[in-house]
Amino acid sequence: MTEAELLLRMAATLKQDIGPAVGAEYPKTQAFMAGVVLQKIAAQLALAPAHAQAEADEMDSLVADLNATYTMGRTQQAITRLAQERDQETLCALIETLYVTRDEIGDGQFFQLIDRIHQSLRASLDRRLEYSE
Amino acid sequence: MTATDAFQEKVITYLTRQMPGASAMSLDNVQRIAVGWSHETWLFDVKYTERGEAKKLGLCLRRDPGNALLQHLSDLGQQFRVLKCLENTAVPSPKVYWFESDLDILGAPFLVMEKVPGECPSPWGRDGLAYYATAAKRGKLPQSFTHALTTLHTLDWRAAGLDFLGVPGPGDDFARREIAKWRELIALSGHGPEPVMTDLLGWLENNIPPVKHLTLVHGAYRTGNLLIHEDQISAVLDWELQVIGDPMYDVAYVLSALNRDGTPLLSNLVERDAFFRDYEAATGFTIDEDACKYYNIMYAMRTAAFWMSASGLYASGRSNDLRLARTKWALPVVLSNAARSLGY
Repeated sequence: MTEAELLLRMAATLKQDIGPAVGAEYPKTQAFMAGVVLQKIAAQLALAPAHAQAEADEMDSLVADLNATYTMGRTQQAITRLAQERDQETLCALIETLYVTRDEIGDGQFFQLIDRIHQSLRASLDRRLEYSE
Repeated sequence: MTATDAFQEKVITYLTRQMPGASAMSLDNVQRIAVGWSHETWLFDVKYTERGEAKKLGLCLRRDPGNALLQHLSDLGQQFRVLKCLENTAVPSPKVYWFESDLDILGAPFLVMEKVPGECPSPWGRDGLAYYATAAKRGKLPQSFTHALTTLHTLDWRAAGLDFLGVPGPGDDFARREIAKWRELIALSGHGPEPVMTDLLGWLENNIPPVKHLTLVHGAYRTGNLLIHEDQISAVLDWELQVIGDPMYDVAYVLSALNRDGTPLLSNLVERDAFFRDYEAATGFTIDEDACKYYNIMYAMRTAAFWMSASGLYASGRSNDLRLARTKWALPVVLSNAARSLGY
């Protein structure tokens, strides 16, 4: 039995056995919620290796595309930092920089860059939805 | 003595001090309201004797649990001030009696207000949906829903003393203030970097609509936050997010698909055309649908910030409520919908 499967078993016990046996409303809800949370964790855990690989591939592709765009100044610095760090924090910093420098870089380049980032964000959201919905 | 008995004893001691002419005081019909994730709420009747006459007063007590979700955005002291300002105005609201910040009395700040007659069916459950669907057919409650909102938006808020809430400057100041407020909540949540949220905030700051009017804005005007008695709104509740700002902020919430479930009726209750007609006639404002679209994206950001805060409260150990832990997985759903609104 994998860890994810064990968590799913525990979730079922909480929802089907423990929760219904609890009389008071608040702890009953809590028992049910504990089951729901374990189900979510189980689903997330089961998908984690595949998602981690997909996130890494997506970041490589994003960095390559952004690097292929001619940029200058703060925008270029933010892209360079993303290429080095490859994490969510530097991606946030790049997005912030794009909005702040929008007038500097012009709408053409702003939308070229932000649209490409949106493509990656959507892919990431779709992965998260696989275990969240 | 149980914890509940001890709590009621403390309430009686407090009320006896606040009502010097009252004696032989007792609490009756004590009911703790389970809904909501912010302040703890009790409803009860105080029975007492005054000048030999038996009397009864319905009260509502709200206590700050110390880890309320929106605690730093609106404390009970501010709620008390707002409700005090609304007394003797056309806005249906409960009369407030006392606010206490002294932690020695009930262990946390609390306020006591009138128990307004009425019920507040949840719009998220089957029973609530059936209630509003039936009321919609009768027609009186939808009119009252719109009317209560127009009393809010036509209130002379300066005369009512509500300028203490902060008056936005001209142009984009209102939206910028709101965004800053929610940024603060996000920062306090302890949540890690969230690029979609960063994008949402950037978009909101770059697309602020012009504000034509400044009014009192409730900030969460929908069924579920309104008390209903005899097919009319008897009180607007949940004064936690109110601001002086663009009335379209409230209108957007009314128009939002977030606040209806399987029905075209706004807030599960009001026909869209009737709402537009009655709202515009009563306020003299034209509903700006572009501004409403903008504010709906702001609501998506707010909801995401709310879930970040909620899951953060559980993660940090400030709350043991597993409903808050569950919101960690509600966040991607809200962010996904917001991203769709921005076109991706």
